Amino acid sequence: MAEPSGGVHVTDVTKNSVGAKSEPNELVQPDIAGGSRGDEIIIPVYWNIARTLGKRLVELAFLLFVISTVLFFALRLTGDPAAVLAGETGDAEQLALIRAQYGLDKPIIIQYLIFLGKVAVLDFGTSLANAQDALGLVLERLPTSFTLVIIAFSANLIVAIPLGAWLGGRPDQRLRKGASTMVFIAQGIPGYITGLILIQIFAVELRWLPSIGNQGPLSWLMPAFTLASFQAPQVIRVISANVAEAMREDYIRTARANGAGFQTLLWRHALKNAMLGATALIGTQVAFLLSGSIITEVIFAWPGLGRLLVTSVQTLDFPVVQAAVFMISIFVYTAITLTDIVFLFIDPRLRRQRA
Amino acid sequence: MSIVEEVAPSASPVPETGERVLRVNDLVVEFPRPDRSGFRAVNGVDIELRRGETLGIVGESGSGKTMIALSLLGIVPLPGKIIEGTISLRGRRIDNLPPREIRKVRGNDIGIVFQDPMTGLNPVRTVGSQLMESALRHNNLSRREAEERAFKALDDVGIPAARERLKAYPHELSGGLRQRVMIALALINHPSVIVADEPTTALDATIQAQILDLFRLRLARSTMILITHDLGVAAEICDRIAVMYAGRIVETGTIEDVLSNPRHPYTVGLLAAVPKFDVRRPKLVPIPGQPPTADDVVRGCAFSPRCSFATPECEERPLLEDRGGRPVACWHPRGSGV
Repeated sequence: MAEPSGGVHVTDVTKNSVGAKSEPNELVQPDIAGGSRGDEIIIPVYWNIARTLGKRLVELAFLLFVISTVLFFALRLTGDPAAVLAGETGDAEQLALIRAQYGLDKPIIIQYLIFLGKVAVLDFGTSLANAQDALGLVLERLPTSFTLVIIAFSANLIVAIPLGAWLGGRPDQRLRKGASTMVFIAQGIPGYITGLILIQIFAVELRWLPSIGNQGPLSWLMPAFTLASFQAPQVIRVISANVAEAMREDYIRTARANGAGFQTLLWRHALKNAMLGATALIGTQVAFLLSGSIITEVIFAWPGLGRLLVTSVQTLDFPVVQAAVFMISIFVYTAITLTDIVFLFIDPRLRRQRA
Repeated sequence: MSIVEEVAPSASPVPETGERVLRVNDLVVEFPRPDRSGFRAVNGVDIELRRGETLGIVGESGSGKTMIALSLLGIVPLPGKIIEGTISLRGRRIDNLPPREIRKVRGNDIGIVFQDPMTGLNPVRTVGSQLMESALRHNNLSRREAEERAFKALDDVGIPAARERLKAYPHELSGGLRQRVMIALALINHPSVIVADEPTTALDATIQAQILDLFRLRLARSTMILITHDLGVAAEICDRIAVMYAGRIVETGTIEDVLSNPRHPYTVGLLAAVPKFDVRRPKLVPIPGQPPTADDVVRGCAFSPRCSFATPECEERPLLEDRGGRPVACWHPRGSGV
C-alpha cells in the first residue's frame, strides 16, 4: 500500500485544466492515494522478500520450540522408553541400568531442559532401534522423499494449471463440462485406491514397472502419479473456478474492448489473477508432500521420510520421531514461506512499495 | 503528433458539414427470455456522428445506453445479440465482421472508456504493460516504440510523472488517475471514434470536475459519443444529444435546443429533476413512476404510463420524426416548435 507520508503531495491537476465551471480551490485538493510521492523511496521487491523471510524465521524458531516441547511430553505419555529398550525379557535391574544410561532416571523437568539444549544444536540422540544417529537416519531419507515430491509437484503444476485455465475459460461448453465432471470424480478417488490399481495393472499384470522401493526412474512413476493424481484435481478445480470468475471481471471487458482475443484474455489477463487463489492451495499441497506422503510411501514400500516416521512411532523410537517431526516442521514452514514469496511476485498489492 | 489536440476553452464549433464517421441504422439488441419474445435493450436506434462532433446519449439506467456502446465494438454480453440494424464506420459495415476483423476495430478504430476505473484495469499488471499490449496489437511497433507511445498517451491525458507511472500498478493510483489511464488506453491508437460510457460517474465530485475538464478542453475536437445520465455533464461536453427511454431515442437535437426547449415530456421531466443553484427555493420534481423493466410489456409510447400528458392516442407508438423543427417521438410535444 502506498502510505501518505510527510505531507508532501503532488496533485494530479493539470494546470491548464482549470475550467470556468470548476472552482480553483477544488482543483488543488490533494489526490492522496495516487499523488503522494516525492519524499518517498520505492522499495524493491527484494526488500519485501527479506522482510517476509525475517518474519518467518522468527516465527519458525518459536514454532520449533513449541513443537519440541509438545513432542517431548507427548512421547513420555505414550509409553516408557526404557521398557521398550529393555525388550520383553527385561527385568527391573536392566530397566534401572537403561534408565541411568539414557538419563531417564532424572526428574522429568531436568530431562526436558537437557533435551532442549541438545535440540538447539540439532542433537536428537541415537535411534533406540539400531543405535544410529537419529538426525542422520532422517537426513538419509530426504533424497528419496524429495525425488517423489519434486516429480509429483511438477506433474501437478504442468497438468493442472493449463487444464484448469482451459476448463475455466469457457465453462459452458459441453466438452469442458464433461471434463469438469471427470475431474470432480477423480478428486473423489483416494490415493491408496489409485496406488493399488496402478500396482495391479503395471506391476502385476503387465510387469512393466517395479512395485516396491526406490529402484531408479522407472520406480518413481507410480508413486509420483499416485500423489499427483489426488492433488492435481484440487488445483484444476480451484484454477478453473478462479479463471471462470476472472473472465467475468471488468478488466477482461476492457482488454476485449481493446482488441484482445480469447487466448490473450485467458492466458495473459485471467490466469495470473486466478493464480492468486490457487497459490495458497499449491503451497499447502507442497507442505503436505514434504511432510512425507505417508500412505503412498507405505503402499509402494518407498524408503522415504513418511515410512520412517510410521516405523519409528510404532517402535516408540522417540529420538527418530523427534528428529523427523523437527525436520518436517522446518520443511513445511519453508514451503509456506516460499508460497508467501511467490505471492509477492504474483500480486503487486501485497508488496510494500514505499517507505 | 499529439493524441489529443489542445484547444481554447471557448472553441466548440459544431461542424455541420463534417464527414460522416459513424452511422448506426435501426439497431436492435435483444436478450432472449424464456417462453416469450426477447427483451429489446436497444429497440431501433439511429445514430449519425460527424467528424469532430460529440454526441451525448442521455437516459436513465437501463435505457439501453451502454448496450449501444457495446454494440459498436461487437461486445454485447451473452446471451444478448444484435438482431437487426447496421453499424458503419467510415462507410464500412462493422456489425457483421468476422471475429478476427472486428478485433482490429476494437481499441484501434473505436476506443472506449468505461465507467469504473477501479475495476477496469488488470490489478496484477502494470499500467504500462496494459497500454503497450494494445499499442503492440494494432501497430507494427518495437517494444521500445510501444513504451514511448504508452508514455505519450499517459502524458497527453495529464498524468504527472508519466514515465514512472508506466511501472505503476493500478492499485497505486487514485481513482482520478486510473480514469485518466483508462482514457489513455482508449486513445493510444488514435481511434477515429471515442466512446465514453459514464466516464465520470464512479468518481468523486472534485475528480469528476477534473476528468470533465480533460474531455471538455483536450478532447473537444474529437469524434466522440458520450454516454451519461447526467444532463450537466452532457451540457458541458456535447454538441448534440439524444435522449433515450426504454431502448429508443425519444428526442434529439443540439445541446442548446434540447436544454432550452425540451420537446418530449420525458426530457422536460429530466430537466425538472436536475438541481439548480440559481433558484432561491430549489425544488426537485421527480418523474412519477418507474421506467419499464425487462419484465414489462410495453405497448405504444413506453413513457405514457408516467406521462401527465398521455391520451388514448399514446397507445400507438409515436415515431421519432420532425415535429416542428426537431425530431421528437411524442404525439404531444411540449415547448414551442421552431
